[in-house]
Amino acid sequence: MTSFDRVMSIFTGDIPDLRPVVPQIFGFTARLNGYRVNQYVTDGKVLADSQLRTRREMGYDILYAFADLLVEAEAVGCKLHYNEDAYPHLLAPVLQDLDSLEDLPLPNPEKDGRMPVLIEAARLLRGHVRNECIIAACVVGPITLASHLMGIERFLYKLIDEPAKVNKLLDYTEKVVEIYGSELLRAGAHCLIVFDPVSSPDVIPSSYFLKFESERLKRLYKHFSFLGSPISWISIAGPTQRIIPHYKESGINLATIDYEVSISEALSLSKGIVINGNLKPYDFVSDNPEDIKEKTEACLREAEGRGSFIIGTGCEIPLEARPDNIMAFVQASRGLQ
Amino acid sequence: MDVAFQLRDLVEAIIKGEAEAAVVIAHSLLQQDIPCESIIENGLTEALRFLDTKCTNEEFNLLEIMLAGRAMVSVLDEVIAPRLLFNPPLSSNKTIVIGTIKGDIHDLGKQIVRTLFRARGFRVIDIGKDVEPVDFVRVAIIEGASYIGVSSLLTLNIPFIREIKRILRNEGVNNIKVIAGGAAIQQARPEDLDVDYIAKDAFDALHYLNRDLKE
Repeated sequence: MTSFDRVMSIFTGDIPDLRPVVPQIFGFTARLNGYRVNQYVTDGKVLADSQLRTRREMGYDILYAFADLLVEAEAVGCKLHYNEDAYPHLLAPVLQDLDSLEDLPLPNPEKDGRMPVLIEAARLLRGHVRNECIIAACVVGPITLASHLMGIERFLYKLIDEPAKVNKLLDYTEKVVEIYGSELLRAGAHCLIVFDPVSSPDVIPSSYFLKFESERLKRLYKHFSFLGSPISWISIAGPTQRIIPHYKESGINLATIDYEVSISEALSLSKGIVINGNLKPYDFVSDNPEDIKEKTEACLREAEGRGSFIIGTGCEIPLEARPDNIMAFVQASRGLQ
Repeated sequence: MDVAFQLRDLVEAIIKGEAEAAVVIAHSLLQQDIPCESIIENGLTEALRFLDTKCTNEEFNLLEIMLAGRAMVSVLDEVIAPRLLFNPPLSSNKTIVIGTIKGDIHDLGKQIVRTLFRARGFRVIDIGKDVEPVDFVRVAIIEGASYIGVSSLLTLNIPFIREIKRILRNEGVNNIKVIAGGAAIQQARPEDLDVDYIAKDAFDALHYLNRDLKE
């Protein structure tokens, strides 16, 4: 069975040959292979090479065409600061007020910012593995992109003070995500993960997720499914118990949860969608392989017999993680000594 | 209207994040010769207590806290501070230096901490974001601070957080406690960061400070 089939078996109800293992592993792969993180986020060849080599060494079941959460924001005009061996960060938001929204362009994914880098990465990964392994590309949710464009503090205040204008901004960010996501799928990604940290109930009330974001996600996932994506994947960290029951109506069929939600609780709330999680990412830095093995086994015991579960991490494995911990996680997940 | 009712309305306006309404009510209370201290204790502090309970029950989110914080700052800046001729309404003479650690420019959480601590009577010196560890120590010593509050959203910056205690020790300073907060480091332990306490949120940090001050 290929990695692709192994992951898809969880959706179809078939019995996999091995338990599928899907951690979130991005810039770490660069460091493991002697690249600087800056090279990884700006060069599609480096990104693809890092992803392919690390998966080959560790043996998990996923490849990512993903750099960082600021690709869309940069493509429409936000300035970033690039760090030599860390992810870039936002220097300044591009949108000073909601009235200047009309000045913002829609991106051309073939030439704007680093969108071409990620598109090249998706194309290279697909060329290498074809349909042997799922290639997940990543976009940010409309709310998260809006917060990057305005600055999160100003955006959150506007959400309360000028909701009608914020909705226009979200119409725009939804379109940006649709354009970019569509191009990633055309380039070879099998599916898209929507990362949406600002939709976390840690940041906005769950009612705001339903009011401002879930319909937009539904439209996006419908569009991406139409383009052939078999998986509609969301990744929101934090205490997501109140929004998980609404994922299914947004068209989501795979949700990554972090350690703030127990696996059994997520499976009970999720109405049959597949749950992915939820080892603590920082444990891969601070623990040793024996601890990781125990925690992985505890996760698996919690999900035992409940079907719709793929073991993984609740969020990105940190850049400074110990490689032997990741190896221990994969081996324990597979049931190997 | 009865003063008790107006104070209750002030608490409610702050909790709902209605800054303009909170300022109007606070002005009205002052015009009725209600002392600033009473507005702080029975209005702002009471609102903080309510938010604290919500926080403890994990029913809060950043947006609600931000809105309540904005309302509280509006009352402090527009109503209380002018009346006190800019003498801050301190109930404690303790100083805390806060900042976001080197390599991190996220400062929203820090701003909430600044607002809440200020409302609770601490002297808060905010030294900004992307701050070198040595600058936390330098400012804390110059300002006679009892605490350093360091914020980070990224695990990548943990080595810089660890530096703070090391520099304090090198300088022979052992009476400044270091409190860390921020999303990613919630997964770490105090010994990982070499800090005195890792606060779950702004209220948890306040509780720590209050406990520490009683000791």
